[in-house]
Amino acid sequence: MSEKKTKINFDGFFRQNIVLMSGLVTAPIIVAATTAERALVLSLCFFMVSYISIMICRLIPRKIMYSMRILIYAVVAGAVYIPTALLLSMLFPETVSGVLIYIEISVVNLLLLAKTESRFYLESFGVMAVDALIYIAGYAGAAFAVGIIRELLAYGTFFGLYLFDEPMPAAKSPFFGFILVGILAAVCRVIVGRRGAGK
Amino acid sequence: MGAFAKIIATAMVSIFVQNAIFERALGANVVIYASRKNNHVVGFTIGMTAMTTVASVITYFLDGLLLPLELGYLFMPLVYITIISILYVLALLFLWRLFPDIFARIKKHAHLAIVNCTVLGALFLNSVHGNDIWSYIGYGFGTGIGFFLACFMLNIAHEKLDSDKIPRAFRGYPIMLIYIGIVSMGFYVLVGYTVNF
Repeated sequence: MSEKKTKINFDGFFRQNIVLMSGLVTAPIIVAATTAERALVLSLCFFMVSYISIMICRLIPRKIMYSMRILIYAVVAGAVYIPTALLLSMLFPETVSGVLIYIEISVVNLLLLAKTESRFYLESFGVMAVDALIYIAGYAGAAFAVGIIRELLAYGTFFGLYLFDEPMPAAKSPFFGFILVGILAAVCRVIVGRRGAGK
Repeated sequence: MGAFAKIIATAMVSIFVQNAIFERALGANVVIYASRKNNHVVGFTIGMTAMTTVASVITYFLDGLLLPLELGYLFMPLVYITIISILYVLALLFLWRLFPDIFARIKKHAHLAIVNCTVLGALFLNSVHGNDIWSYIGYGFGTGIGFFLACFMLNIAHEKLDSDKIPRAFRGYPIMLIYIGIVSMGFYVLVGYTVNF
């Protein structure tokens, strides 16, 4: 049996951010993260569905064929989605109904379907538990960055608090989401490049 | 004839008006991955179109059972994923038995084309907007073709988007997103409104 990695690596938050650097999970952020509250709902949903599923799926024997394991991961996420959606619907009924499809598709996110195989399950359980949290924190960071910028531009508010008249209503449209995430991804690459050069 | 016309009309809507990639970003990461190679564009499109079309027919009947229930929407992702999984396994078995060469070539990438946001999103959108089996089939089929359109538009732009003329920080994933955003803006203008999701 191969040796499991036991060192915690924090690159999942920024250097390998799943939204801005590797682009594994983009749709909810690009389209649905138009306010900070939506970003909060998307992050909570992503955390609950992905984290619990990753933990449960760790128990699935690796003897099962890879193609089949992927399907089992998605089915487990589909089951975890039920209590998650119920809880979020009680806490944020209006916001959840506005972003429902992007919550529903979180059961097939690539953090669960790809990173589990290529990274998490090669680590010891403790390291995996922390590493998965770091990746999810990176997702939440990107969601809030995009959500706050778009809320300010599209509505002139911050967490629903009025600040000024909306300067750019088109900021809530999907095309702006694509462009904003693209620009933020480029900024992240510049920062990572400078850090690398500094070292 | 009426049924065929409805399938075509709904497919047109899902290709040009409610394109899964440009309007809803469903599977934007998959389209960026698939558009890198010509054979991926074709393979992903065939797999995805077949899956969205066949799964749409099955979900039409299941939606009739789930949607009237008060909490039926909670079980839809689980039901849809189970349907997709069963169809995926059947497709793999079919290829393994009858076309082993194709099976050997696609088995590493097949799940990316089948178990993704575009396929699942098409089924959810069908449950919201579909009203009869023909519109379900049309929407499912159109989503696959819409994916091809997005994939093709990215594929032909790859060379220029990866060239030295693009600043280093933007090369690759960032410029791809910005490019999709600009094309998406074109669709937005073409349609004249934004979709409510």
